[in-house]
Formats: sequence, structure tokens, C-alpha cells
Amino acid sequence: MEKLTRLTTEQRENLAAYLDGELDDDATRQIETALAQSTVARNDVEMLARTYELLEMLPRPRASQEFSEKTLAVAKLTDVRADFRRSRWYRATQRGLRWTGWAAILVAAACASYGVARYRLPRHENLLLDDLDVIQKFDRYEEAGEVFFLERLGRDAALLEKMTEESGRAIQ
Amino acid sequence: MPSSTAVPTVSPYLRDPDVQLMLRARDGDDAAFSELVVKYQDRLVGLLGNMIGSHEHAEDLAQDVFLRIFRARHGYEPNAKFSTWLFAVAHNVACNSKRSKVRRKEVQLQPAESGAMSVNPQEQLVPDKSGLMPTRLFQKKELQERVQQAMLGLNERQRMAVLLHKFEGMSYADIGAALDMTPQAVKSLLSRARDNLRSQLEGFVK
Repeated sequence: MEKLTRLTTEQRENLAAYLDGELDDDATRQIETALAQSTVARNDVEMLARTYELLEMLPRPRASQEFSEKTLAVAKLTDVRADFRRSRWYRATQRGLRWTGWAAILVAAACASYGVARYRLPRHENLLLDDLDVIQKFDRYEEAGEVFFLERLGRDAALLEKMTEESGRAIQ
Repeated sequence: MPSSTAVPTVSPYLRDPDVQLMLRARDGDDAAFSELVVKYQDRLVGLLGNMIGSHEHAEDLAQDVFLRIFRARHGYEPNAKFSTWLFAVAHNVACNSKRSKVRRKEVQLQPAESGAMSVNPQEQLVPDKSGLMPTRLFQKKELQERVQQAMLGLNERQRMAVLLHKFEGMSYADIGAALDMTPQAVKSLLSRARDNLRSQLEGFVK
């Protein structure tokens, strides 16, 4: 390997793992060979290691004195709330409310259905009223016979005249 | 499917003393939970502080993590090391907090006492090459801010993986368990994270 040869992508990926001691024996040997042969690789690994050391500069804040006390107090409070939710009467109340809710929904649905049936759906009497005009003239309509005959009568003036004469004679 | 003979399996994590404490907490021993809080509080606050970039808020988040652990204690099963579980919860809490903080535009470093930062942190990370500004000019606090900036430049998973590895000394397998990743994926994640850190900080490496 040339002194200035850069590492392959795979080798570069293994470099950090090599520094962390997470490579198996074969991969470790490969990296060590590459490092022995390439100055660039050695520089790379050196830079990686030193950059990682810079992380020591990161602040490491600590918890405040009262942190554990406060946390435990809040945890117990949470527990009390959870206990309250697990209590028998709380669950009974919750169950009661649930049933009441369902009952209310059913009543509301029944009311809505009644309203629709009462005010929205057409009733038999209303239909009769709507058709009153037709019902009153029903006998005449029956005498007239079929619609196409009336249409023909409307178009054929001679036929109308003839029928009028015949009906006049019949009345006489 | 052949029926397997029922062999009682003992969790390998039962040897973890913290798992034992958590099991005691599960059974109603508040003192055991208190012991866990005391044991992990500083580590958790430190981790979350660097995770979200706000040390004031870190304590609230750490408390949230412990409360989640406490609330979940009744269903606790030792399926991992206690610390792995704790840090998995912490990662989740930190990510959720980060999202809501981004919405409120609260994510920021401590206002730099050393002077105003430019809009683009990348520009800040380029060292002066004039030769008039020796590396020593960067005082510890300033360098600390650059390192914080570089860390905040990583994505959440990368940052958490780096913090767990660097400060908690966790193996790739344990980090993978905490972040729900394979060790191979952790290897790639940490490699990319360290490459990113290097590209941002190499100007400050002596």
C-alpha cells in the first residue's frame, strides 16, 4: 500500500470500531496492516481519536441536591393518583358513567328517530290530501280511458266533434 | 411444530444488581427505587444535558424518565440490563422533548458569554488560518462551546450513541439494545458520527 493511499470506505467505517475495540480479530488485523502501510491512514485514525478526546470538554451537569427527593415525592404522588384510579368506587363510578353515557346516546337516538318519523316521513292521510284533486275527478278520468286516447282527441278535431255530437245525441 | 420441553429460562440479566433493585421496586420497595434514582441521577442529567443542549431542562427530563420507569414498574420484566432500559427511555424522552422544543424554538445553547455566534455554526468552526490566532487563543469555555455545537450538529441517534459510548462506556451491542438497532448499524452510526465530529473539530485538535 502506498504511503499516501487513503482507506477504503469499509476500512474507514471499521476505523472507529477499531479504536473502540469492537472489531473481530480478522478485521483488526486488516486495519492494523493498513495503518502500518499508510501514513494517511495513521493520520486519519489519529485525528479520529483526538477529536473523540475533545468530547471530554463537554460539560457534565449534575443533578441538584433535592433532585432525588423531589423525584420520589412526585413519583409517590403519581402513585397515589394511580391508586385513586384503581380504587373500587372510582371504577364503579366510571362504569356507571359509561352506562349512563350509553343510555343517553340511546335516548337521543330514539328521540331523533321519533322526530324524523313524525315530521319528515309523509303519512297516509297527507298522501290522500295531496291526491284529493285526482281522487275527486277519478270517475271522469276513468270514463276518459287511456291517456293516449285523450292525446289523440286533442290532436284530432274531427274526432272531438264526432264524439261531442254522439254524446249530445245520447243525452237527448 | 415439535413441542419443546418446558425448560425454565432464567434471565441472564438477573445478575445485574440494578435489575435486582428494579425487581424490588416492582414488588413495592420504594427504597430500592430511591437507590436507583440516586445511582443514576447525575449520569442521566449529564447525558440529557448534552443530548438536548440545555442543562436547565435536563433535570426536568431526567425526572420524567424516572417517573416513566416508576409508572412502568408493575409490568417490569428483566429483558435487558437496567441501564439499557433506562437509556432507551431517556432517548425517547429526549427525542420527544427535542421535537416540542423545536416547535417552540427553544433549542439553543447557553447564550455565549464570549460573544455573539454567527448564524452558521459551521463558519464558526473554521479556525483562523492567518497564523495570528494561535490555537491557545481558544480558551477552555470557547472550545467547550465548539464541541457542544459539533455535538448538536449530529442527529439525535448519533448524538445519543456517542454519549452512551463515550460517557457510559457502553458496548455497541448495548447501545444497539438501547436504540433498537443492530450492533452493525451502531458501528456505522458511530463511524459517521465520529467522521462528522472530526470534520467539525479537526481545526481544534492539537
